[in-house]
Amino acid sequence: MNYLSQVNASSLYLMVGCIIGFVLLMCLFFLVRSYKAGIAIGMDKKILQKTIRNSAVFTILPSVGILVGVIALSGALGAPLSWMRLSVVGALQYELNVADIAAKAIGLSGLNVSEMSVGAFTTVSLVMTVGILGGGICCIFFLGRYLRKLGGKKKSADTPAADTPAADTPAAAPKKGSNIGNIAMVAMFIGLCTAYISSYIGAFANDASNFLPLLTAAVAALVMFIFTLLSKKPRFKWVENFDVALSMLIAMAAAVIAGGAI
Amino acid sequence: MREEEKHMDKHEYFSSYNRQLHLLGKIMLCVSFAAMIAFSFVAGAIYDVAPDLGGFLSGLLQVGIIYYPVALVEFLVYAPMLGVGGSYLAFLTGNLTNLKIPCAMNAREIAGAKTGTPENEIISTISVATSAIITTAILSVGVMLMTPLQPLLSSEVLKPAFENVVPALFGAFGLKYYLKSPKIALAPFVVMTLLCIFVPAVQSNTSIAIIPAGLMCIGIGVLLDKMGKLGDI
Repeated sequence: MNYLSQVNASSLYLMVGCIIGFVLLMCLFFLVRSYKAGIAIGMDKKILQKTIRNSAVFTILPSVGILVGVIALSGALGAPLSWMRLSVVGALQYELNVADIAAKAIGLSGLNVSEMSVGAFTTVSLVMTVGILGGGICCIFFLGRYLRKLGGKKKSADTPAADTPAADTPAAAPKKGSNIGNIAMVAMFIGLCTAYISSYIGAFANDASNFLPLLTAAVAALVMFIFTLLSKKPRFKWVENFDVALSMLIAMAAAVIAGGAI
Repeated sequence: MREEEKHMDKHEYFSSYNRQLHLLGKIMLCVSFAAMIAFSFVAGAIYDVAPDLGGFLSGLLQVGIIYYPVALVEFLVYAPMLGVGGSYLAFLTGNLTNLKIPCAMNAREIAGAKTGTPENEIISTISVATSAIITTAILSVGVMLMTPLQPLLSSEVLKPAFENVVPALFGAFGLKYYLKSPKIALAPFVVMTLLCIFVPAVQSNTSIAIIPAGLMCIGIGVLLDKMGKLGDI
């Protein structure tokens, strides 16, 4: 039995299936519990359903991107581990890099399937798993205290009872009395977008052949701008529910065209 | 008086809901982590091998030195965005920056929920849970159909699309949020772009670059708010 058959054995699929099944069950429980809690505190059912619908649509394209990551990883680590790594705690940007570091740490030249053995596989998988648990460990030990501390600081600025808008309230409807928490959250997200976008500009400026990420981001931004203008017209208000997903789809199509042209 | 009682009830109910999520979240994380760690040992036991302890420690040291500080920063930054339920689920199911955070922010915006409110926490939990379910479903179907899908998803023609999912995501979101608050975005955008151009190492360390970019944006946002020049965001 060669290495790839061993790491793709049905017993490993079964183990991973059980772990992912458990995670899926927990997600379903949290979803149902939160939906019921939303109804219980008087939120509009339409908003809750809209959130589910929108999040589902939003997730499709990035998930296909993650699936491509599973396929890339499975070449050296087999499908079961790759499936588990990117379904539980994993991150697309993290896995290949860490697998490579771990393979080098045990004396291989890198994550090279011709050098791998089941022994190496178990060590690499353990490094990949334990190496990414930091965020989860923080949640287990500090989440309650941390959120309470933050909540205490901004409690006076929040007015929870009056925040649920009607189902048809515009998504970005401005509200009076922004609080520090709200500003910090929006600002942090702007910072997140800035870190990524500036990295694409920097990569392009240093090597013009790295133009695809910047081009894709620019097309997505342009399409989003058009959708933003469109959604201000009552006839096209529905666009705002799909604007991110559609912008991404068009930008990814542009990347295919530009990639094919070179 | 009745309104006050209703308000109290809502908060009592929400506190008990949060306590339940905390308990369940901790159990869920501990069980999942134990199962994932056990996977490596059980997989080894099937073939009579075991992880190499020296290799594991050496690998973990190299990985941990980079990723544990990043994980701490991610926890400090993202937990307030996600709330109780959203945090447990997002840190369990992963793919935070490239999926869960943008998804929760998008849902929050569409629902019009405001930070720190029970509504925001519920929207974020529903959003992260839905997103995790869809991702798990797509990955599971994809793994089952890996043989027929592999040529399509790995094709040279479609490669640029799948390699650029994250740029497409942040291009769309960047525009949306830059329009929302150009005053916050402008200076950090210029500084970070110059940094990425003149210090190329920053480009490949986006997880670290998020920290100065985010801190700059928060600082400018708070300052503008104190000066009364921020407006509504």
